[in-house]
Amino acid sequence: MKEKIIEIRKLWFKYENMFVLKDINLDIYKGETIAILGENGAGKTTLIKHFNGLLKPTLGYVKVFGKDVRESSVAELARKVGMVFQNPDHQLFAETVWEEVAFALKNFGYSKKIIEKRVKWALEIMGLIQYSNNSPFSLSDGERKRLSIASILCYDPDIIIFDEPTVGQDFYQKERLAEILKLLATRGKTIIVVTHDIEFIVGRFNRIIVISKGKVIADGLASKILTNIELLRKANLYPPQLIYANYLFNEKKNISYIETPREFVKIILRRVYEPKSL
Amino acid sequence: MSLKVFEGLKFEKKNTVIHRLDARTKGLYVISTMIIAVIFTDIVPLLLLLIICFVLAVMAKVVSEWIKTMKGIAIFALIIFILNFITITENRINQSIAMFLRFLVLSASFSIFFLTTSPDDFSQALLKMGIPYEYTLMLTIALRFVPTLARDIQTIIDAQRSRGLELEKGNIMKKIKNYIPILIPLIIYEIRRSIMIAEALESRAFGAEVKRTNLYETKLSLIDYASILIIFIFTILIIYLHYLHILPSIFYLKLPEI
Repeated sequence: MKEKIIEIRKLWFKYENMFVLKDINLDIYKGETIAILGENGAGKTTLIKHFNGLLKPTLGYVKVFGKDVRESSVAELARKVGMVFQNPDHQLFAETVWEEVAFALKNFGYSKKIIEKRVKWALEIMGLIQYSNNSPFSLSDGERKRLSIASILCYDPDIIIFDEPTVGQDFYQKERLAEILKLLATRGKTIIVVTHDIEFIVGRFNRIIVISKGKVIADGLASKILTNIELLRKANLYPPQLIYANYLFNEKKNISYIETPREFVKIILRRVYEPKSL
Repeated sequence: MSLKVFEGLKFEKKNTVIHRLDARTKGLYVISTMIIAVIFTDIVPLLLLLIICFVLAVMAKVVSEWIKTMKGIAIFALIIFILNFITITENRINQSIAMFLRFLVLSASFSIFFLTTSPDDFSQALLKMGIPYEYTLMLTIALRFVPTLARDIQTIIDAQRSRGLELEKGNIMKKIKNYIPILIPLIIYEIRRSIMIAEALESRAFGAEVKRTNLYETKLSLIDYASILIIFIFTILIIYLHYLHILPSIFYLKLPEI
């Protein structure tokens, strides 16, 4: 049995006289890689803001490492729960890249020696060490995104949440991001990604939570949820192209979970060359 | 951060008499309220002006938004009260309360104006008064971006708090310094946004040499003319009577001084 690190029970959240989250019940375990899917305005970002205490539940409770978020400050929770915001321009302010990464460490009161070690480590992982003395604003879009990740990574939180990490990123940057996520997962971090980029999710996350109109409408293995076309439609999401193409190719009879184009081609070729075996 | 003050500037379309009035009529109301509020340093007339504001808020069905603004402004009004109370030597209580009320009246009438006038109507009214389009557009954009700015500030605060920034920590100097990580991203972000807006405007032929036409032309209705007449007569009358000292004595009622 894995350690339960986030526990949400009967969470309701009210914003401007409207319930944005309705009766959310979730358990998140250590080391999971989770994608939270949902259309715009479904309540995804509102939900994750409860994990580090930026928002407090109207009804019900959210416990992080066994402690109610209402009883801890954001700064306390932020040590364990790192959150990478969608737009890096909402947080970059320091004169140099190095200072930018050191900001959180200084806030948490680490010693100078540890700060130096950690900043160097985070910048090396993100491939930004050569820009240490440059201004954060001189970096490209992808580099700024990586810098915002480094500024969270540096203090080594157990849970790392990414809010819409793929928005505005090109293919190369997305691949790079995927590598970073993989690396973090192998280091035993719990990763939660909020997105509506369904293609990015395929083959990269073991658990998927679908949110629609403030409710969790599905929670389970990626292979189960990404092949449930009806469910995805309900949340205004389009199924992954390979899975949908294979579904159409099978005359809508049989739907299977495909992660890579190679797998897809294999299935198609087998069908073409050995029609009787299917 | 109390961003609630800005909610008093947020226009919401409603179908009431006040909303239907022309921006110029409401503008005249604000100006005449300002003139009367500046002329009088007595509690009763200022209180009356505040009551008129409240009645208008009820008529326009914007009471809750209006009260929110008043709550946000109360702190500044209180500062004015305290400063007056400390610095004035004679007539302390009456003077300080009058100053407090004057500030409330001014902001209350402005709040009513912005709560019930759409930015488009406002810029139309300014255009009709002969102000160049560039300036009226500037004003419309400024008003339009107040809620957007408030949202940006909130996002930036959230992002920095997620990195362990504690705004309320430390003494007063430290507290001011705490806002640097909020202000720098905000300024840079908004400058970038303004450049984007400028480009978007230019790509839609802003600044073309041809004379602009308007899709909607605002016209003064019968109610507008009647309201303008009433406001005008009322204001002139009050000022005239005040300077002739023939207003009823209740207008100059004073609270006992300590």
